[in-house]
Amino acid sequence: MAKQVCVIGGGVTGMQAATVLGGLGVPSVLVEKSGELGGRVPRLSRTFPFFNDDGFNDGRDFTAALERDLRANRLAEIRLNTSVREMTGDSPNFRVRFSDGSVAEAGAVVVATGFEPFDPTSLQEYGYGVYPNVITASELEWMLNPRGPSGGALVRPSDGKKAERLGIVFGAPFCSRICCSYSTKQASTVKERNPKAFVACFYMDVRTYDRGFEEMYSLALDRGVKYIRGRVSMCKQLPDGSIAIRAENTLINKPFWGEFDVVSLSTGMRPCRDADYLANVLGISRGPDGFFLCREWFRHPHDASRDGIFLAGCATGMKPIRNCMIDGAAVAARAAALLRDA
Amino acid sequence: MNRDDLIKAYEDLRDETAPQGDATWYPNIRRLFGTPFEREKDRLETRQAMEECEAEMQAWYEKARTESCTWWLENHLVARHALKGCISCGVCTAECPAAQYYTDYNPRVITDAVVSGSEERLVELLKSEMLWYCGQCGSCKPKCPQENNLMGLISSLRFLAQLKGYHLASARGRQQYAARHLWGGNLWNRALSFYFRNAGAETHPDFGPRHAQYQSQVDEQMRRVGASPDAEGLFGGRKTAPETVEELRRCIAWGGTLALWNQLEAQAAENARAMGLSIDEYYDRVRSEG
Amino acid sequence: MTIPDNDLFLTPSCILGALNPGTEVLIGRIYDLLGLRWRAGGEDPRSQCTCCTGISSHGDVISVESTLLVVARLWSIAADLGFENITTACVTSFAIHMECLEMYEHEPGLAARVDGWLRQACGRGLRIPKHVVHASDIVHRYRQALAGRFRYSLVEQATGRPLRVVDHVGCHYAKVFPAKVGGAEWCDVLTGMIRAWGGETVDYPERRHCCGMGFRQSMIRPNRGYTMACVLKKLESMAPWKPDAILTNCPGCNVFLDKEQWAIRDLTGVDYGIPSLSHSELAGLLLGWDPYDVVGIQAHTTPVEPLLDKIGIPYDRSKERIAEERAELVQIA
Repeated sequence: MAKQVCVIGGGVTGMQAATVLGGLGVPSVLVEKSGELGGRVPRLSRTFPFFNDDGFNDGRDFTAALERDLRANRLAEIRLNTSVREMTGDSPNFRVRFSDGSVAEAGAVVVATGFEPFDPTSLQEYGYGVYPNVITASELEWMLNPRGPSGGALVRPSDGKKAERLGIVFGAPFCSRICCSYSTKQASTVKERNPKAFVACFYMDVRTYDRGFEEMYSLALDRGVKYIRGRVSMCKQLPDGSIAIRAENTLINKPFWGEFDVVSLSTGMRPCRDADYLANVLGISRGPDGFFLCREWFRHPHDASRDGIFLAGCATGMKPIRNCMIDGAAVAARAAALLRDA
Repeated sequence: MNRDDLIKAYEDLRDETAPQGDATWYPNIRRLFGTPFEREKDRLETRQAMEECEAEMQAWYEKARTESCTWWLENHLVARHALKGCISCGVCTAECPAAQYYTDYNPRVITDAVVSGSEERLVELLKSEMLWYCGQCGSCKPKCPQENNLMGLISSLRFLAQLKGYHLASARGRQQYAARHLWGGNLWNRALSFYFRNAGAETHPDFGPRHAQYQSQVDEQMRRVGASPDAEGLFGGRKTAPETVEELRRCIAWGGTLALWNQLEAQAAENARAMGLSIDEYYDRVRSEG
Repeated sequence: MTIPDNDLFLTPSCILGALNPGTEVLIGRIYDLLGLRWRAGGEDPRSQCTCCTGISSHGDVISVESTLLVVARLWSIAADLGFENITTACVTSFAIHMECLEMYEHEPGLAARVDGWLRQACGRGLRIPKHVVHASDIVHRYRQALAGRFRYSLVEQATGRPLRVVDHVGCHYAKVFPAKVGGAEWCDVLTGMIRAWGGETVDYPERRHCCGMGFRQSMIRPNRGYTMACVLKKLESMAPWKPDAILTNCPGCNVFLDKEQWAIRDLTGVDYGIPSLSHSELAGLLLGWDPYDVVGIQAHTTPVEPLLDKIGIPYDRSKERIAEERAELVQIA
């Protein structure tokens, strides 16, 4: 029996890695600090783009399917509510101690710890945390999910009334590669469900960069989403709780003044909050942006700075689900190869 | 009257005292402020001060006057740090109160002209009305993602416009001659930028009748709250000792400002001549137009 | 930014001195009440305070180096008197002093050059102060202590309702160096006072909008429409909350939010009637100091008396004007 791989993180990336490893005949122990598999995907309302038919309307549909695949393969041991506390030894003889005190021997480690949305409370000009109708993209996403707080309907948090006017602020405050795309998806979804809604996206760039994303952007425009190129200077709360935004439409040099029921801040994404701790425990490097750093940028994009440790998914920077799945398979192959040669 | 006599006459009037309870009161300041007499005296005095001053900055500003606008942007203490690149995000314009009031105003146009490095565009900017719309509030400053100092940049460009005489091409720019004597005159003579009698009812009808009523009794009203109108004291309206005024004047001179004031004077004289006005008629004209 | 608690050098304000003089004198009175050691200038004739050149600087008639020198002279006077903490009565001054500090920090060699020029100009040397704050920072710091001495509070006496007070923080306080003051959006300097003194703060859409004083825009008459428009915009925006007063820390804001209300009424027919008070005026009133003889509310265009009525501060309206026999008739040449 081959040595096992320790997969840290039970989101879609970790699940994919463990499943593919199982397919290669390699056992794994998958540790997830929360009580559920799937990571952040279960709270998503839609995927993007919509090329194939496996797009879903509720993230949990997707993660449930992944979980079935994972559990069908008997080679993965799943440990929920468990995190990594300490690691000793070197590849291929790591000894990993978990939060429940137990120890596992592993020939390789996969880091699939994901990301964390940036908390925009510190962006005081937007009033997040002060004005109830200013929310984050993550909160908007969950609101649009049928299992969410309003059954999937877009409502004003201040009074629960139906929201007809949505403003989306891109890049608050930095680019995380997919924010333009998921924001476009959200805007498009709202318009699809309610063609009379007024939806405006305030952008500096629209970085819908990948295959199918430009088509999604065009679809959003066709559906009547307004795109205004101008950085939002501040959100102001009107007497009825609506949010007023002022920006300059820099393409036509005209001011834009709009009043919205809800303003969503498409926040940038940060590495998971334990990234610092984990980097110390595992002895691996992080880049200046805080995400884990690979050994060689082009030749070994999935290898951490230390032998036997592999990086996958949003732990190395924000990416769409599909790319997380690609990463998961890639590191499974790397880890399996390592163990075969050990 | 020659220069020295004129200055002495002014100073004698200024420093004449009269008793007023316990305080020493200077009854003539109210007759001197903002007058053609004071302006003429200032004109002569600042020219003399400039001739006698060997300030490095004065020489620098004199030299700057003959250099290109792009030279200024690279060398002026404020301008050279003001702009770190502009992505035209528009957040400054979104915030700017002037952009809301002056519908053809857009502060990004200023950054664009500066970033372009084009001497022609810069000269056009310095001659425009638009350069003078900014109210120097700084609302743009905390917003700019590139940490540009647009407020400082505009201020610096306005200084250059005046040095080079480009301000004469716009009505708002020509107002600077009045500004020089209003604020500059107050600084030079009274050690402050705004003198209490400058807020008279005649020039501020928009402040309403209560203000006019208050102003008609302003000396007594100020005294009763502990201010010192035209008298020695710490607070409002105070008459500053000549020794302090002298130190202040020397600080102004050593910073090179006299190069600007003398330029403004020369430009105004020429502009007035071209308009067929006396310098005092010109002064009245430029501060009521715009 | 650390706020010093004593040993304060107070620099004066041109606008307060000219248009709302009681406000400025009140700062000194408040410092005295708090038992603080303070000075506003030296004894000898060459060491008096002057303008910081803020208005002239933002009005573009003075060079940045002249400003640096004038401010350096003030610092040197303070240092000679043994003061390392500067408190400015004016918010524009605050930003000017801060800008000077910033430049010395980021411009190599500038401090030495300015020191050299200052010596040539008036025999003084550049002595960088330890703290530069605005006078409202001191009042904010001592707001609880002051509240303990107040005879009145920001409460409607008849009903017990906390008075609704709009805070208007000067742009040059909050926006020019936001990191120093807790950010440009929600700084506490005035809202802290309002809450400590019994009132209710108001957030309205144009809260952070400039009052429009704009230096050359307000002081050169043809430009003043801009100032009026900015004041109107703010008043319209705050009106739904029916504020009882506006609290300011900047002299320009204090004056223009007050004075333009008359022209606005004349032009639009709407009488907003919201008194605009400075932090020191409000403190003075709540301390029970005489509204006319000490606080000087008669300098306001928008009457403050309705606010006094709400709070329950008694006053003698006849004291607003000086009786004709006592008034000095001034002939302006």
